[in-house]
Amino acid sequence: MDELPWLYAALSAYGLATVVAFYDVMPIRSGRVARHADNERLVFSLLLTGVLLLVVTLTERWLRLGHGPFVNLFELLMSQLFSLGVIYMLVYWRLPIMRRSALVALPMLWVLGVWVLAIEPKDSVLPPTYHNDWLWAHIGFGKIFLSFCLIGSSLAGVLLLRRWSAFQSWFRTMPSDTVVDGLAWRFMLVAFAFHTLMLIAGAVWAQDAWGRYWAWDALETSSFLNWLLLGAALHARVSYKVPLRVGAVLILAIFIFAFFTYFGAPFYSEAAHKGVI
Amino acid sequence: MRRGLRWLASTRFTLVGMALLGVGAALSYDNPVTTPVWVLVIPLLLLAINLLLAIISNPAINRRAGLLIFHIGLLSVVVLVAIGRLTFMEAHIELVDGAAFDRDALFDVRQGPWHSGDLEAIRFIQQGFSINYRPGMKRGLTYNQLLLADADNRLQPVVIGDDRPLLLNGYRIYTTSNKGFAPRLTWVADDGVRISGSVNMPSYPLLYFRQANEWTPPGGDVIKFWLQLDTGLNEDANWVLEPNKANGTLVVNESGRRVELLPGESLALKGGTLHYDQLSSWMGFKLFYDPTLPWLFISAILTVLGLFIHYGQKFSAEPLLLNAKADDKSLSFSPGKTV
Repeated sequence: MDELPWLYAALSAYGLATVVAFYDVMPIRSGRVARHADNERLVFSLLLTGVLLLVVTLTERWLRLGHGPFVNLFELLMSQLFSLGVIYMLVYWRLPIMRRSALVALPMLWVLGVWVLAIEPKDSVLPPTYHNDWLWAHIGFGKIFLSFCLIGSSLAGVLLLRRWSAFQSWFRTMPSDTVVDGLAWRFMLVAFAFHTLMLIAGAVWAQDAWGRYWAWDALETSSFLNWLLLGAALHARVSYKVPLRVGAVLILAIFIFAFFTYFGAPFYSEAAHKGVI
Repeated sequence: MRRGLRWLASTRFTLVGMALLGVGAALSYDNPVTTPVWVLVIPLLLLAINLLLAIISNPAINRRAGLLIFHIGLLSVVVLVAIGRLTFMEAHIELVDGAAFDRDALFDVRQGPWHSGDLEAIRFIQQGFSINYRPGMKRGLTYNQLLLADADNRLQPVVIGDDRPLLLNGYRIYTTSNKGFAPRLTWVADDGVRISGSVNMPSYPLLYFRQANEWTPPGGDVIKFWLQLDTGLNEDANWVLEPNKANGTLVVNESGRRVELLPGESLALKGGTLHYDQLSSWMGFKLFYDPTLPWLFISAILTVLGLFIHYGQKFSAEPLLLNAKADDKSLSFSPGKTV
């Protein structure tokens, strides 16, 4: 497969970005004062390189197979590495105050990176029901949802890690817990809107593809439960004084649920989201 | 009373409704047919009441345009889904080439008590299909031809397939993966009575190894059929299933006697003569009717629009990052953009 070297190069760039981000928080002795390195520009450049290499990877595969990376787990992981990388990179660039959240976000991204390396890079055939414009909208909104979820979760991770003194110095350039909490929930709010859009586009696609807009198949149910959980968390936050760290755990739970919805349900169930001969 | 209504309109009651809906959805996971519909209907009803009362009484909602649109949109979605379940219809039909749509041939019919669609207005004639397959017998696009009457009652050819349904009088008619071959037969009884029809063989190529069926003619014994097909099926290469180009030998088994028939050949059996007229095909269609679909889409889009309006107002009124400072006050940095 021609695209595999590009994929390995992209993962290497993401890996280097992770290493540099961690190197930045390791104290370096300079004379008698311990200081931190400042390689944010390098982290950004490596993220950008990784994203561009993934563009080449996906384009190469697309041209070879004649369809987008929508069908098997290998393709989903690759395209998700791209979309999560792009949106996180943009946030990293535009919001410098959040840059240390890379210490949480990049290892999360690496879960996908390790996974994609561990599975067989099989080719796929586009099922007939995937020749539909709404599929693009459905998948696009889903990717944006998961990206905002990742950003919210990385901020939630910062809140939780800050409890331990060993990690406090890592995140000292970030705002107070209250602001980080507010930011995390704002990203989850935007994630909620894109999740809603994903469900709408998915329902329109399902109506065209299978003659029904909703059938409680495994992926639909899992996705709806995820939407409900996020909606309930947002309501709980306005109804009760949810402590910051409980809120952070809730955000992480939503992200983990979303993760299993994306990468678990479609492959666990023989639901209608697959082509039939 | 007022206190009770306040509770029903509260976000705490929303959480109860959401929890119940979550349980209902979890019980409906992967669409088990045994799950009673009430596990979803009751929480949705409670949430609809909660939404309505909250829209009327909660100033946090009804004084904010975005949140108001969002909650009205959500309520509309719930109400429209309910109306949709009362008026919907779903059914299947199998049509052989040349056969016209016949409402009496529908099976697996499910419909809401208020369904009032006009099935009589559905008029089309099945004309055959072709389907592309890729290596590994992976189904590609389906091209199913129909003849459809236009406004002047002239028959016009139309091609549908997969996610391109036929839209007729509010009904959406889809091809399905269920399709196959159908030998056309004529039975001439000993008393001269003729019956023509076809025997639909199991779905092809899914059940290519089991192309068998049986039929009992009036006054005769059970006749067992087995169809030997030459369709060019190749599991390892690209292949097009074109029933009109396929050849099929009909193996007839009656009372232990086995005879092979080619199209045009006949066989004398107990009670009459069987003619194998030609090899034809059948397509399984799915019918779907739900008059709320366009309104449901509009409501859902309004819901998201409301969310974005609300976010725009909220985020610009409370820019979290504008005055944010690093937790470590000894550091200085650029505050970046407003979120």
